[in-house]
Amino acid sequence: MWTWFYKLASPPHVYGVAAALAPWALGAAALAMGYGLIAGLALAPPDYQQGEAVRMIYVHVPSAMLSLTVYTLMAAASAVALIWRIKVGHAVAAASAPIGASFTILALVTGSLWGRPMWGTYWAWDPRLTSELILLFLYAGVMSLRLAFEDPSRGDRAAALLAIVGVVNVPIVHFSVVWWNSLHQGATIVRLGAPKMPGSMLWPLLSMWLGFMLFFAAVLCIRLQGEVLNRERQSTWVREAVKS
Amino acid sequence: MMSSSFWAMGGYARYVWPCYAFACVVLAWNFWSAKRFRVAAQLRARRAAAMTMAAVGES
Repeated sequence: MWTWFYKLASPPHVYGVAAALAPWALGAAALAMGYGLIAGLALAPPDYQQGEAVRMIYVHVPSAMLSLTVYTLMAAASAVALIWRIKVGHAVAAASAPIGASFTILALVTGSLWGRPMWGTYWAWDPRLTSELILLFLYAGVMSLRLAFEDPSRGDRAAALLAIVGVVNVPIVHFSVVWWNSLHQGATIVRLGAPKMPGSMLWPLLSMWLGFMLFFAAVLCIRLQGEVLNRERQSTWVREAVKS
Repeated sequence: MMSSSFWAMGGYARYVWPCYAFACVVLAWNFWSAKRFRVAAQLRARRAAAMTMAAVGES
């Protein structure tokens, strides 16, 4: 197990794994999203209360879940980098941040579009919406802090600290609908007990979620290759890799 | 579902389709920017390798 862990600390190994995984993850993401789109837009029934507007769930929920998952991954990678001084951890965190931020924006915009017909407003200072907006600010803070120092290793450490401190917002976003009165509906899938949805709506949603996760994995692999190359530019293995 | 009623989305078309269009934009941007980032890093690494080789040749 430790051999596997130590291999993950090796930049050439991570570069090779990322290069090998990216096309497979992208292909699998296309399949999962293709099925999810067809099933979600055409085959799943409309909701008995929300009608056809519920079809926004197939984009909104996967992007919101991904915004939290990516932040947690970024914080975990930052912790690994700080505790074990594994530089690849900083590279993973740096590669994850812009992807996570973009999916947070997607969750906010699609939520806003869904909120207009359901709540009568594009935006409300509701606990779920506000905490998700704070998540976006945290992503922006982590990305800005990394670039704010002349010495990149100091930028990495500062960004890692903010990422780790900011992870406290992840459970706040998730449980905000339980802890406070909220316009936002409660948890439908990630909850104790069985999901509240019928299978005809749940399967397209799970398929879209899987597709988004795989897409994230693919894009992360591509970005991670760039991050590793930028950080290891002077290494012999990079010279060999770019020569071929 | 009939084609026209599919596009109408039960009167919610002005919300549903922009939602999917924006998702497409975000996915496309992610893919494009990641590719561009990797290409730029490869170029920088190639340039650094060439400079090292030149320095070794000079010495």
